[in-house]
Amino acid sequence: MSRRKTDEEYRQTGAFRFFRWLSGSKDAYIDTVEMKPQTEAVETKEEEERREAEHKHAVEKAYDSNNRAIIVFNKIYRLVAAIFTVFLLVSLIYAVSYLPKIGDADNATSNEVARRYIENGVQETGAVNIVSGMILTYRAFDTFGETNVLFIATCCVMLMLMLDEKILEKMDGRDDRRFEPKSDPILKTMASFLCPVIFIFAIYILFNGHLSPGGGFSGGAVLGAGMIIYVNAFGFKNTQRFFNETIYKIAKISALCMYGLIGSYFYITGANHIANHIPLGKVGELISGGIILPINIVVGIEVACTMYAFYALFRRGGL
Amino acid sequence: MLVQESLTLVETCKLYTFIGVLIFLAIILFACLIRAIMGPRVADRVIAVNMMGTVVMVMISILALLLKEGYLMDICLIYACISFLAVVVITKVYLGVFAERMIEEEEKHGDV
Amino acid sequence: MEMFRFVLGSAFLLIGMVVFAIEVFGIFRLNCALNRLHSAALGDTLGISSCMIGLMIMEGFTFTTLKMALVILFFWMASPVSSHLLANLEITTYADLDSKATTYEDISLLEDEMKQNGAKREN
Repeated sequence: MSRRKTDEEYRQTGAFRFFRWLSGSKDAYIDTVEMKPQTEAVETKEEEERREAEHKHAVEKAYDSNNRAIIVFNKIYRLVAAIFTVFLLVSLIYAVSYLPKIGDADNATSNEVARRYIENGVQETGAVNIVSGMILTYRAFDTFGETNVLFIATCCVMLMLMLDEKILEKMDGRDDRRFEPKSDPILKTMASFLCPVIFIFAIYILFNGHLSPGGGFSGGAVLGAGMIIYVNAFGFKNTQRFFNETIYKIAKISALCMYGLIGSYFYITGANHIANHIPLGKVGELISGGIILPINIVVGIEVACTMYAFYALFRRGGL
Repeated sequence: MLVQESLTLVETCKLYTFIGVLIFLAIILFACLIRAIMGPRVADRVIAVNMMGTVVMVMISILALLLKEGYLMDICLIYACISFLAVVVITKVYLGVFAERMIEEEEKHGDV
Repeated sequence: MEMFRFVLGSAFLLIGMVVFAIEVFGIFRLNCALNRLHSAALGDTLGISSCMIGLMIMEGFTFTTLKMALVILFFWMASPVSSHLLANLEITTYADLDSKATTYEDISLLEDEMKQNGAKREN
């Protein structure tokens, strides 16, 4: 016969722990998670009065019963919104019902275009990297649309987040960046060594877009990352010596216009069956591939400006 | 590597060495991920993510030799840049947030 | 000749693997974030350079190995800065640091204490 265990011995076995976990009688968070002491949220009378006054003011402004335009708008808004939603739904479903089945043999995607790109890609575009050659010569118009989307995205973010430079200068002591460490000598020294390396590497990726994977988009991203490291090490005031709002506007707009001009030149010569006199060069060299290298440079500038602009707008509110 | 041709002795040794090292590094990567989940403080997690980046860099270098594609080393360099950038920005922002919180608490306790 | 290069390269690679294993062991057993920073920095510098040197020896002298040398150079410059910033973060935001490590206000206090300990051991 086996002996019954005492209470203390039983508490140390695995079976006790298992059944305690099964029944859920011990709180799983006590003694395992670091918890800070909880204090009650207390609201003073002043704060409560201020909150009520603000709420009242906002409600009065929104539901102003003397403004005729607001009353009329409130009445027809819901009806028009419902009609518009139904119309959008119906038109989209109607368009989707015309699409062919997935995987059908005579779909539009399984045609001879893909085979032509792979077989004749290298000799027609002059680029060893078929993907770069495809998106920048065969489908250059699509890439132009993507570059446009980047431009519009920064315009929208600027609309919402950008403040005037005078307001920023007044505010520069009192925004939410005032508590951050301002300058770190170790980071500054290292950034002055590392940032040139990163910039040169980014330019290398840009220039080798037609020989190895890379091209405009990835090169521009690395260039933007280098700029962000520079801004973090040296501060916005030092960066504005060589990259401020004027230079940003000039770079972005001229990059997009250059791409548009190149694209339109190819459109005109191609549609009228004139030969465009852009030499293709020898396959595998740096200066080869026709117009791929200039387009890569243009797209790279665009993407780098976009990345830096997003970072600066979110952190400071201005370039 | 994926073509079934007869390899010399040195090449088979290289192939199996690389595969063994890759499997070992995958286990180490998983262990770093566990530390990133477990670590009670912010610095623990950032350290673990930095380490994961380093291990991935070694794995990419081995793959660049295994598949005989030389351009994968560019990706390795980009990984180094990006992990460095991540540490710089995270520390700066978190120090700012912490200092702001401390000053607010001091003001509150100073009043009360 | 090829075999000799392969054996030498894989020796370096195995040293790198051992260093990574020690690093992971250290990250789990040490108890303060500042101590774990030591083991992470160990892997960042010694581990990756041993692995890369082993791979460079195995491959020969090509463009790929030059890029590996550039990776080692870049990482040896960037990793100590990351460690410095993380240590700064940990010390500034951890109020309870005295329970896990002894802190000194100035480095001259630490030097005085070490001199006293040295004198005591001589006596």
